[in-house]
Amino acid sequence: MNQAIKPHAASFRDPSGFVYEKDGILYRFVSSAYQSAYDLLQSSGLADELIKQKKLLPFTEINENHTSRADWYKTLQPQLLPFVSYAWEWSFDQLKDAALTTLSICSAALKKGMILKDATHTNIQFVNGRAKLIDTLSFERYTEGEPWVAYRQFCECFLNPLLLAAYKGMEVHKLLLSYPDGVPAASTANLLPFKTKLKPVVYLHVHLHANLSGKADVSTTKQTKKVTLKNMEQIIQSLHDCISSLTLPTQQTTWNNYYDETILSDQYLSEKKKLVAAWLGEMNYTSVIDLGANEGEFSLLCKKEALVVATDFDSACINSLYTKLKAEKLQHIIPLIVDLTYPSSSLGWANAERTAFFKRKTFDLGFALALIHHLAIAKNISFNQIALFFSDICNELIIEFVPKTDPKVKGMLQWRKDIFELYTEEQFEKSFGEHFLLKKKTAVPGSERTLYYYQKKQ
Amino acid sequence: MMQLLYLDPGSGSYLIQVIIAGVLAVLFYFKNTWNWIKSFFIKTAPKNEEEKNESSD
Repeated sequence: MNQAIKPHAASFRDPSGFVYEKDGILYRFVSSAYQSAYDLLQSSGLADELIKQKKLLPFTEINENHTSRADWYKTLQPQLLPFVSYAWEWSFDQLKDAALTTLSICSAALKKGMILKDATHTNIQFVNGRAKLIDTLSFERYTEGEPWVAYRQFCECFLNPLLLAAYKGMEVHKLLLSYPDGVPAASTANLLPFKTKLKPVVYLHVHLHANLSGKADVSTTKQTKKVTLKNMEQIIQSLHDCISSLTLPTQQTTWNNYYDETILSDQYLSEKKKLVAAWLGEMNYTSVIDLGANEGEFSLLCKKEALVVATDFDSACINSLYTKLKAEKLQHIIPLIVDLTYPSSSLGWANAERTAFFKRKTFDLGFALALIHHLAIAKNISFNQIALFFSDICNELIIEFVPKTDPKVKGMLQWRKDIFELYTEEQFEKSFGEHFLLKKKTAVPGSERTLYYYQKKQ
Repeated sequence: MMQLLYLDPGSGSYLIQVIIAGVLAVLFYFKNTWNWIKSFFIKTAPKNEEEKNESSD
């Protein structure tokens, strides 16, 4: 292989090909071992159909071998992803949509004589508000009678965490952080309530699956019985019906009524929105990171041409924002669950497969609205540390200072000793002044809070 | 074909598919028969909006 061409750190498992970067552009090498499947994907019209339905990431063929490998068949240039996210940052409905997209792709593939050879959440990304399959080489020729090789992987990556969320209120992002390859059937079966054994589809795909895992010899099963095309379609259909019917148990969380609470006046929120919108109107930005986005009130003020990554540690807020964006067909905002004090770290083989959250991109603009007291007081993080952190992730910053006299801060200090002598507006400005230039500052009417617009020092 | 089987399907997952296939065939048979009977009495409602969107756009 050419010295300069190195496969992407997350692209080494599938011998059909790999992704690599050359001159800042991502390409996909397709090996001649995949020729027959690739030709069928194209000639059957499956690739075109799925791209048209916005379920498969578009790609173009490049007639050039950048490597010196003799097994070269095609070079593909996939559409660039605006921002990469992982299942341990997704809310329930995001994982559910990723699951349903995977199943509907598998179902469409079966109609064209193909099937998915893998079905993991890492093959799905959110692009323009839609869950899309990004791995063009996930398809293989379907042989009638053969079972679905990715069946277990699909159940573990999608079905099991979704069932645990729907029946036990567990959070899918936390489950998939603990089990990045998917939650095993046995663990799921142990945690699910007894009533799920009475549901035929859940019983079959989880409880029976857990009982049989590791007990059967594959070769003898394969020789004696066959799974026909109709059987396969019914398996996919049953998974689709089961997942479609799942919903989150309704519960009030810490934050999903934050702005509805009477403690903060209506005037405060509307004035803050007006101020932020006016500043945004004068700014030049193409990417925004909203930290502590709640249900996205301020992300929604950003222009639609910009990429907005709206993060909050509350999964209910992010799920609510995701469903709202989907209903209103707003495609420029990517809602993700991120706990600022424990953001996603580098994961996978050699810590290189999945990039840490804040190493993925530097943003033009950051929002830290009604956030500083949660970091400084609830988490004991100093203003110096917070200012340094923001200067690493964004070039401009809109940040709100919440004083000790604010009812929210008073509430936080009600039951604990006030050890925060340095929590003053003066210290705040001093710490941020070390890394940023103050561009604007204004009081938010209806509150004692102050809004700052900072620009990073060069 | 072997070079493409890079994913471990997991022992037991083939057997479970054979069993599920059998049970589902029976379940779908009854479901379809029931829907066929129902169709004589009730005019079938159109598919819900979400499903339509998913398959059309």
